[in-house]
Amino acid sequence: MNIEEIRELIDLVTETGVAELEVQRGENRVRIRRGVQVESLEVTAPASRAGAAVPPPPTGKPAEKVPEPVPPAPNSETLVKSPIVGTFYESASPGSPPFVRIGEAVQPGKVLCIIESMKLMNEIEAEVSGVIASKLVANGQPVEYGEALFGIRPV
Amino acid sequence: MPFDLDQVRLRLPGRDVVYFDTLDSTMHQAAGLAQSGCAAGTAVVAGAQTAGLGRHGHSWHSEPSSGLYVSIVLRPDLEPDGLPSLTLALGLAVAEAIARATALECDLRWPNDILLGGKKAAGILVNVVESAAIAGIGINVNHQSFPGDLAGLATSLRLAAGRPFSREDLLVHLLLAVDGFCRMLREAGRDAILEVFERRSSYARGKPVVVYQEGGLLHGVTAGLDASGFLLVDTRDGKRETILAGGVRAAGA
Repeated sequence: MNIEEIRELIDLVTETGVAELEVQRGENRVRIRRGVQVESLEVTAPASRAGAAVPPPPTGKPAEKVPEPVPPAPNSETLVKSPIVGTFYESASPGSPPFVRIGEAVQPGKVLCIIESMKLMNEIEAEVSGVIASKLVANGQPVEYGEALFGIRPV
Repeated sequence: MPFDLDQVRLRLPGRDVVYFDTLDSTMHQAAGLAQSGCAAGTAVVAGAQTAGLGRHGHSWHSEPSSGLYVSIVLRPDLEPDGLPSLTLALGLAVAEAIARATALECDLRWPNDILLGGKKAAGILVNVVESAAIAGIGINVNHQSFPGDLAGLATSLRLAAGRPFSREDLLVHLLLAVDGFCRMLREAGRDAILEVFERRSSYARGKPVVVYQEGGLLHGVTAGLDASGFLLVDTRDGKRETILAGGVRAAGA
């Protein structure tokens, strides 16, 4: 990940008003958290996704623009996993906008994607409140049972 | 001919069936009813759809008063990994309903295309929402022709049999057959559904097929279903592939 890409991500955080954004590309992971005046940056070494499997309790708090001053533990992301084997679709139909974008705040019940299995369209909903921190599967790709689809960072 | 809802209600007392001459999509309407807590088995029927839904954004050709377009609210109480067998059960139900109403014997193309003479006569789509599975079923009943490219791919019960059929009678048989196969799935389990499907479908075993998948074509011969209901195909290079997604077509067709 180069400085230009990081700059774009900072712009994204600023434009969308989300409190925090974490993106993993290949070996690099960058987390951008909005402060009162400045964005703080954390670039971490490759982290194992398996370590993030334990979901924290949902806070139920609405999204806040002012982040907590202390950095949360790196494993606080909740992974949304596929309940079935199928095909991942990010939108209701080709050409329509995705159900969610990285950086978007979601509440329990918000539809995140569709997993199609044998012409059966399964709407996958968020079970916790938070911000979409990562999207781990590309549109139209096959997914396995239990495969992580999204990371949601509680707010 | 206008749809005679009273005839259906008389034969299925106590069943919630709603009918609309024209609807954007029976799926949307049924999803709304499901969300407001309607009874399992509630059916939404339309004489014509202005935005009929096919699989993932494909449209469904919905000709006024010729087809039967129905979405049924099911509450199957299945674990997510049991849901694919619901798709097979619904295909069996549609084939059964057509057989009872018309004496036409349909073939089933995995997972649930309903074929007559190799052409598609009915299609099924299932949307799983929080508390319900909405089964969308479109049957070409009395179409006398199909436009453009569809002519080579689609047929109707009337075209296959040479005479028109009552959509009301077909709907009654359809709702009863869906009840029946859902009960079979619930009480006898998915193995029973897989077994019936393998017997009923010429595509299940020993059929040379081409599978259109993300990333290319796969040629082979079908080798039954796995425990979840996915299609097994023995490929030309001696491997056994499990088909999780993709369109299956008869080779050489």
